[in-house]
Amino acid sequence: MSFEPKILGIACNWCTYTGADLAGTTRLKYPQNLRVVRVMCSSRINPSFIFRAFQLGADGVLIGGCHPGDCHYNTGNLYARRRLATTKKILEFAGLEPGRLRVEWISASEGNKFAEVVEEFTTQIKNLGPQTKLKIPQ
Amino acid sequence: MTDFKKIEENLKKESKRLLEAGDVTVVLAYGKGFDESHPMPYAAKAVADVENIVFNEYCNYNMARYLVRYPQGTKIAIAVKAADSRAVIVLIQEEKVKRENLVILGIPVQGMKNPKTGEIIDSKTTCGMYNPVLYDLLLGEEVHGSKSASPYEVLMEYEKMDKDARWEFWKKELDKCIRCYACRKACPMCYCDPCFIDQSKPKWADKAPQSPGNMMYHLTRFQHLAGRCIDCGECSRACPVGIPLYLFHKKVAKECEEMFKQQAGMSIEDKPVLVDFRVEDSDKILE
Amino acid sequence: MVKKITIEKISELVAVLMEKGTLLAPVKEVSGHNFAQISDPQKVDLNFYNTIMSPKNAFFPHKEDFVKYKIGKSLAEAEATVLNLKPTFLFGVRPCDVKSFEIMDIHFNAAGIVDPYWRARREATTIFGYAYDLSVPLDSADFYNTLGIYAADPEGSDIFMVKKDKELLLKGITPKGEKLLGELSSLARVSSADENYFEEYIKRGKEYKTRFTCVDAQAIARKLETIFDNVDFWTKMSSACLSCGICTFVCPTCYCFDICDDTMFGKGTRSRVWDACMFTDFTLEASGHNPRTQVYQRLRQKISHKYSYHIRKYGVISCVGCGRCTRHCPVNIDIYSIVEAALKA
Repeated sequence: MSFEPKILGIACNWCTYTGADLAGTTRLKYPQNLRVVRVMCSSRINPSFIFRAFQLGADGVLIGGCHPGDCHYNTGNLYARRRLATTKKILEFAGLEPGRLRVEWISASEGNKFAEVVEEFTTQIKNLGPQTKLKIPQ
Repeated sequence: MTDFKKIEENLKKESKRLLEAGDVTVVLAYGKGFDESHPMPYAAKAVADVENIVFNEYCNYNMARYLVRYPQGTKIAIAVKAADSRAVIVLIQEEKVKRENLVILGIPVQGMKNPKTGEIIDSKTTCGMYNPVLYDLLLGEEVHGSKSASPYEVLMEYEKMDKDARWEFWKKELDKCIRCYACRKACPMCYCDPCFIDQSKPKWADKAPQSPGNMMYHLTRFQHLAGRCIDCGECSRACPVGIPLYLFHKKVAKECEEMFKQQAGMSIEDKPVLVDFRVEDSDKILE
Repeated sequence: MVKKITIEKISELVAVLMEKGTLLAPVKEVSGHNFAQISDPQKVDLNFYNTIMSPKNAFFPHKEDFVKYKIGKSLAEAEATVLNLKPTFLFGVRPCDVKSFEIMDIHFNAAGIVDPYWRARREATTIFGYAYDLSVPLDSADFYNTLGIYAADPEGSDIFMVKKDKELLLKGITPKGEKLLGELSSLARVSSADENYFEEYIKRGKEYKTRFTCVDAQAIARKLETIFDNVDFWTKMSSACLSCGICTFVCPTCYCFDICDDTMFGKGTRSRVWDACMFTDFTLEASGHNPRTQVYQRLRQKISHKYSYHIRKYGVISCVGCGRCTRHCPVNIDIYSIVEAALKA
């Protein structure tokens, strides 16, 4: 049985989550490995969510928000961009494979992009293999 | 060479003057400990206290961490070395203390020593700067001449490491942690009440001194100090089991400087990088 | 009986003890020495003054699992931890630390209050006490004379060890120790000169003076009670204190703990972990009220507990003068000097 990764997706309500809905209504196919959690804005994301997700066994974390400049709350994703950039650097310096955390800007009309990104990311995580470093042994 | 005796004299003189005039109600400086190489942080509140003030090469304490203990509005004089002055700047930026309530006594110094090892403290474990960035008075001669090596040079060895080797390194180091939280308490920027690690709703980590709790505590702390850590090295000196925390904080500081073109604690006009943004920040930082 | 071994050959003795059971001995680490379970005989290092962490971990682990449970199952199905202890050897314990076990027994092993895990560990363990090296200058942080303990006190050890140049002399103190020493056939017998040296060493240990002299426990207890409300005094004493937790964690006689239930993926463990009265949230109540929000209140509590309340309740000071608190305090607070200051205030 080949490895089926568990991928956590955190999507902002106004753009990415709506974009994901669009991918659904237009019947686009994308891998089932993504478990989506909806937040109101990408800046809601506490980096501890990401550390915790990896500890709880996530093989990859995909974060989606509005394009910078288009945030429903004007500036949320601008803070999120900086914050998540530092989180990426922290995980990388700790020794986690860099490809496991990905941040994408996906708007409400980009159903195609959502499906493509999920497809791409899932393949990437499959290639990286199961995440064992931060995962708490059961 | 830094004249420690002269600085001590000036520190006592200024403290006495400020307390006598009533300009400040407390002077945060250094005092005698149980022997010469073990001075203590000291808060002088009366003129009579001033005679207990000392300054020598072991006075590494970052007195900025005591600023938040005093009610807002207290007039405080504080003795600061280079990194300590940057910590004061960050606290002013974060509005924990007001510039006008402080009298900053700057101490330019080269040759501070670590009492545990006897080694000179330099840019390998701290920011490596000699002169305070912000001050009302300088208590000694500014240190001129060649700057010590870049504070990020020590990272090269770790950046070159293969990621799996680096993971093993950090796992081994962070497994030593006994969760005493001295690092947190020694840091001037860790003033949150309650701290995330003390919360039970949500419970971010368990209390046991082992992974995964240790990993969660430290990774989150590195994140919370991103763009705020001024590389004083106090956390690492406070650690009873010798974890090189300064390495990780330096790495995060280096990345923040490269990505956002700003160093922590250099100007009271700045905002800390993670409570700020530029519309033109590049998406490249997310790659 | 008294036996001996050359210190160079200590790994041989270590190997024998490892064969017999579990060995806990000092090893060298980055910041100093610490007790660890030995798997490589070469790692044991007796070239130390004292360990960073006290050996209380041997009987009172930093984390101890008590019960394992599953969500959705009945209480009856929860599994209490069963200790399968091999004979354990705690090797290289200084006299002040040996004394600390006696004090801790009050809390974990006294009539009516028995921690079965503590008791089981105590009974399974043979203690190899190790006299301080009288030729090495005293560390300025120690003050064990204040508590009536001397540098070469054998009381409390099962086997007591004394250094003689390049050799280690070992004497059986308790029947348990004598029995074990008899079994260690690789150790050589000593001459009567060696035996005399051993007895002389113990006597000389009494001349080896630490700072602060013997103290009147009742006087300290009383004075700390009367000084309780002097907020200025306590504020002054705590002005440098970071309120971390190092002094509590390194102390051989501190025993505060927290009970935690950690549940994940449908199953969990109830465990006991060390806690510290110096932590900000130590007295945080469910209502949100915290009677000790200020550092001075917590420091006052620590000092009063160890040097006043403990005397009132149990008749002994909760301290052995090992000096670890002072040695490892990040801001060099000399904890016993606070008691001295209180006596003078």
